[in-house]
Amino acid sequence: MAKSDSPMLLQGTLDLLILHALQRGALHGYSIAQTIHLLSDQALKVEEGSLYPALYRLELDGAIAAQWGVSENNRKAKYYEITKRGKKLLAAEQETWSRLSLGVQRVLARQP
Amino acid sequence: MRNLLLKLRRRRSMERDVAAELAFHRDMAAAQGNPIPMGNTAVVQEQARDLWRFTFVENLWRDIVYGARSLRRSPALVITALLSLGLGIGVNTGIFSMAAEFLLSEPSVTDARSVVSVRLGGNSHVKKEAVEFVRASGLFQDVVGENEEAYINWNDGAETRQISAVLLTKNYFTTLGVPVAQGRGILPQDPNEVAVLGDHFWRTRLGGDPAVVGRAIRLEGRPYTVVGILPKSFRSLIGFGYAPDVFVPSYRDDTILAIYARLKPGMTIGQARAGLVAVAQRLDKAMSAPFRYAEGIQVSAAGGFDRIKSETEMQTVGLFFAMLLIVVGLVLTIACVNVASLLLARGSARRQELAIRLSLGAGRGRLVQQLLVETALLSLLGVGFGLVLREVLAAAVEEIQLPVPIPIRLHLTLDWRVTLYAMLLASFATVACGLLPAWRSVRQSIAPSLPREGRMRLQRGLVVAQLALSLIVLTAGFLFLRNLWRSNAISPGFDVLHTIYADVNLPPQEYKEVARKRVYVAQALRELTALPGIESAAAARVVPFTAGTRFMTDLKLADTGKTVHAFFYWNAVSPDYFRTMSIPIESGQTFQTGGDDDARPAIVNRTFAQRYLMDRDPLGRVFRYGEAKTPYMVVGIVGGTKNLSIGEEDQPQLYEDLARIDNDRARVQFVVSSSTPPGMQLQAVRAALRRAEPNAGLEVATLYSSIGLAFLPSQVGAALLGGIGVLGLMLATMGLYGVMVYSVSRRTREIGVRLALGADRRDIAFMVLASASKLILIGSAAGLLCAFFLMKPLAMFLVPGLRPGDPVTFVAVAALLAIAGLAAAWGPARRAAAVDPMTSLRYE
Repeated sequence: MAKSDSPMLLQGTLDLLILHALQRGALHGYSIAQTIHLLSDQALKVEEGSLYPALYRLELDGAIAAQWGVSENNRKAKYYEITKRGKKLLAAEQETWSRLSLGVQRVLARQP
Repeated sequence: MRNLLLKLRRRRSMERDVAAELAFHRDMAAAQGNPIPMGNTAVVQEQARDLWRFTFVENLWRDIVYGARSLRRSPALVITALLSLGLGIGVNTGIFSMAAEFLLSEPSVTDARSVVSVRLGGNSHVKKEAVEFVRASGLFQDVVGENEEAYINWNDGAETRQISAVLLTKNYFTTLGVPVAQGRGILPQDPNEVAVLGDHFWRTRLGGDPAVVGRAIRLEGRPYTVVGILPKSFRSLIGFGYAPDVFVPSYRDDTILAIYARLKPGMTIGQARAGLVAVAQRLDKAMSAPFRYAEGIQVSAAGGFDRIKSETEMQTVGLFFAMLLIVVGLVLTIACVNVASLLLARGSARRQELAIRLSLGAGRGRLVQQLLVETALLSLLGVGFGLVLREVLAAAVEEIQLPVPIPIRLHLTLDWRVTLYAMLLASFATVACGLLPAWRSVRQSIAPSLPREGRMRLQRGLVVAQLALSLIVLTAGFLFLRNLWRSNAISPGFDVLHTIYADVNLPPQEYKEVARKRVYVAQALRELTALPGIESAAAARVVPFTAGTRFMTDLKLADTGKTVHAFFYWNAVSPDYFRTMSIPIESGQTFQTGGDDDARPAIVNRTFAQRYLMDRDPLGRVFRYGEAKTPYMVVGIVGGTKNLSIGEEDQPQLYEDLARIDNDRARVQFVVSSSTPPGMQLQAVRAALRRAEPNAGLEVATLYSSIGLAFLPSQVGAALLGGIGVLGLMLATMGLYGVMVYSVSRRTREIGVRLALGADRRDIAFMVLASASKLILIGSAAGLLCAFFLMKPLAMFLVPGLRPGDPVTFVAVAALLAIAGLAAAWGPARRAAAVDPMTSLRYE
């Protein structure tokens, strides 16, 4: 399903990106997608087909909490907020990710 | 946990929320003209649903409804499964109930875990003073004593009878917290003349009259006030369903008691044992006894599973039940295989349905789940029927009057253990019946081109396994039947057929002195021998198979000065005992009246002489044993008798003259040899003994009927395993029949072709029988091989001389299986022979 100009996300990295996006405060689903899109210099596009299942899973895991609120254009929207548990998870995932990407970079930087 | 709560809270609003959220997302994207791709809304909804709802449970419920509906369409399958699994589970839970009653049940006391059985000096029973000493030591919270196998004379107004009694210390009820159904237990401040009645005694002998509480009954010639009645579900401390008639305070100083103690809170059995050693050492200093109290100290759990670990006889019973449970487990497996082959046949009929569901996108796991749910429904039906069957079995077993001298009342109730076991069996049955066919069906639906013969091979394999299993079960059953025949053929060493047995309980107050007992015995023997048709009569301390007294002591031989450690059964008898019982006197003679007092005469059996006295001519040898001051002289050597069970090895025996021993017991047993059928002499014998002492409790029966205890183990074993074996054979032949019918119906076309081409109908029948024989042959061979190894440990339950590996058993069982198998195949063979070629060719 990945478009040619937007690379498919690695399994599990979406959770990391969502948690990262939520660090600044509560956001609704659409703005989470937007934040990721903008922060990646428009390189990453998150489909709703993967975004919402990931949000529900994270909510069930207790990493984020959801609440209905009113959006900037006065509509009912569901806002997600990172929890304590989510912050811990984020730190752990970040650590894992940086080690992984560093490793991959090192491999690719050298000739076999 | 939080996860679950969240799910429960959100479940309702979930669908609406997801839709609203997605709509919002879409509107935002549209408003901002953002080209973020949409994706599939339905998929998101689906995934959310999987996350939020109890998908598994909901699917399960749907499967159950669907399964029930599809089972309703195949009543034949349901009935077969109901019968097969029901029989299997019924027998399994029935045997388990018995095992639980015998091995795991706890006595009716409060906090049974803190009650322990205590043995001092290796004795099961000790003097009252020793019990008091342990109690006074303060080691335990409290200590009680009971003599559980006592008899007491009860006069119902017309006649005096012997009833079984537990004699106890007065703190018994308060310390142990024994529940009473009516009235109260015995209190420490009660007088001696109070009694608590057992439920069965109260119901059968006193008509179940509740007004009996507070009234008096006559025990040992004195009025005892009934203070309470025990509940029907009462379980005694010694267990095994022992249900005494009456509980009374121990009224004689010389009654020996078994010790039970309640541990202090937090005290372990190990601590109790250590503390008891010190107490017993002080006891040894305070009281003299022929043994040392501090040796052979034992503290063990009074009930439940812990008791098995500490008592060897419990372990034998435990092993017997373990074997029974394995055997009935095999029977259940046979039943499961029956259902499995039916499900296999059904699976091939449902192939299309499954293929359609698979192609519509159903997961393979889901289909297997669906099929297993159907099987689980069948198993649950089986459990339901099985539990009904168990109730019937339990009621029947509880009603059986065992030929034992003590009253036994079993309580085979459906408790949590049995229910749990039934549920375990249901899960086992579900997996055993369903997993293979379900997996098979699903796989076949994926690859429909699989050769059809393959499935038939699987079904044949199942039947072979079934036949092999049933052969193992049958072998066990047949082995125990042979054991029964063998033990009936074993001579107990005395004449059982012409002998009458009488058990007399003298009123203890009037017979305190030994001399009075001697006078009574002489008087009774005169009355008995005067009866017409009576050849001889004798008195004995114990008659074999009714009880036994064992001694383990040192024999000090006077002539050689050697000491031999000896073990023997001891008895004291009147001179005519050997003639009356037809025990041959091989050398020497029986006891003579008068004679000198230098040495007391002793008569030993051949085994005793061979084992301990053979270095010289045993006759006339003199030895001392135990505490006795006077030496013994061997005056006669007699043939041996069995002592406690018919299957036992020959044991050394030693007899003393009843008239010379210091008889402390008020109980005397008589044997009477009759030249006419003994059953017709019972009345006369009873009258003669009444004349000798009208106030004695009296039981008179033929010896044959009163030694039933000796034959009980072999009878119970034969009845149980024989029955189970027949059940197993029945189920296996049912399975063979089913497979043969199925295979004939599948081969109808082929048979039609053969007939059309000129085959003889007899050849067709023969062909079917031959294929059945092949299955029987393979099954038997596999079964025999397994049985040969599996039967080996059963030797411990069999009489000596009957080896489990005896080929006679295997040949007989294999023949039986072959006959039953061929009989089962006979019907399908005839049906095959009767196929009409024309109809069958149009068949498909």
